[in-house]
Amino acid sequence: MDSNQAETKTVQVEFDDPLSAIERIYELGWTDGLPVVPPTDARVDEFLRVVNLPASHIVGEIPERRRSITLDKVASNAVMAGCLPEYFPAVLAATEAILDPKFNLIGPSSSLGGAGILLIFNGPVVSQLGINARNNLFGPGNRANATIGRSVRLILMNACAAIPGLFDRSVIGHPGKYSYCIAEAQTETHWEPLSVQKGFSSDSNTVTAFAGEAPRQIRSVGKPEAILYCIADVASSLGTSLSTSGSVGKSETGIRQGEIVVTIAGHSSLWKDWTKADIQAYLHQNIKKSRAELKTALVLPGEVNPPDHTDYINLIEHPEDIMVVFAGGEEADMSSVIPSWGPKVSSTSTTKSFNI
Amino acid sequence: MVNIKQTYTLVDPSTEAIVPEFQGAPRIETVAGAAIGLIDDSKRNADVLLEEIANVLTEKYEVKSISWLKKPSASKPADPKELESLANNSDAIIIAIGD
Repeated sequence: MDSNQAETKTVQVEFDDPLSAIERIYELGWTDGLPVVPPTDARVDEFLRVVNLPASHIVGEIPERRRSITLDKVASNAVMAGCLPEYFPAVLAATEAILDPKFNLIGPSSSLGGAGILLIFNGPVVSQLGINARNNLFGPGNRANATIGRSVRLILMNACAAIPGLFDRSVIGHPGKYSYCIAEAQTETHWEPLSVQKGFSSDSNTVTAFAGEAPRQIRSVGKPEAILYCIADVASSLGTSLSTSGSVGKSETGIRQGEIVVTIAGHSSLWKDWTKADIQAYLHQNIKKSRAELKTALVLPGEVNPPDHTDYINLIEHPEDIMVVFAGGEEADMSSVIPSWGPKVSSTSTTKSFNI
Repeated sequence: MVNIKQTYTLVDPSTEAIVPEFQGAPRIETVAGAAIGLIDDSKRNADVLLEEIANVLTEKYEVKSISWLKKPSASKPADPKELESLANNSDAIIIAIGD
């Protein structure tokens, strides 16, 4: 897939101090609004050497925007985001995940319903690179999470043309669009890691990319049943992508459905009698909305009839569309729910393995 | 104090669209008697708009036929095979983008 004709496009700049370098890059229009590290050719080369691939290597394509994404672009954005060279294989795998055709990047990167691209890491890479899976899960405070997640946003804006106001038409934006990167604390739970549920071995390094809404915190502690009851209630809300209509594909329910990420924190011992499959089965059954409420919200057409009050529609099609991730601080059993940006027909979460 | 500027080379992180040359479909003189294809992008109200257009085309212009294609998702291109089949059986195609 390499194109030997492609030459790295560069810009010559003059700096007399670090501040002028940062300001010059603002002028070039390459930032997400925050200062960046100047992507000098020497620093970019350091990143390329880590993965031992040529600058012209094509990582993926966005046919709808007539763009090919070459490795030098990925590296330049990772440098700007503030990554260390050793993070680069993780950034590259994340880029491969979002450029996988089934992720359908054109949808979540342009939609009015603006998604953040959540990255979830599994495997030895989590401790090797120091990706945070615990306290302050969604940040701030950790370089690997902050800069790997930010790399993806800069790649989207600079290399994939998802520029706010141009191709990115998100109505309210999303705080996670600066950076949205977590890991599973898989060594601290008896649960099967997300990577294994996605078909990889437990010692694989993987990244799962998921186009999601913002995380909604669930304050429920003490007993698994009570926690899951609350999670199901929040995930059943009207007004998420899951409980709206339009672009429903072949679904006969008339509503979108979709995938969902659920993070569960605290101590794994609380869940000793529960497997991830048990949790997925419970949530699949209980994330639902009545036909009456869906009609009242104009999600479904027609008048509300008495039987509609007890006629429930599941908002998740299959139990495996629920990604349960053991992550967050040890201080309490606090959870979060992240509904997908759209139905699976529009974007499906994608997992890639990689070596460092 | 004199500032001494140094020149650096930055790797451009952005890309440009590379659009291959293409030829648009030949225009038709009139829709009267033509075979018309309609593409619904699957967003809300696209079908309402197209149904009205189909009525007008049928009643006012007596088109030969109307064929429908509904995309599974507004975010995805139409299936290339279904698109080719529609193109082969239509003199003109109208696309509605709803919301």
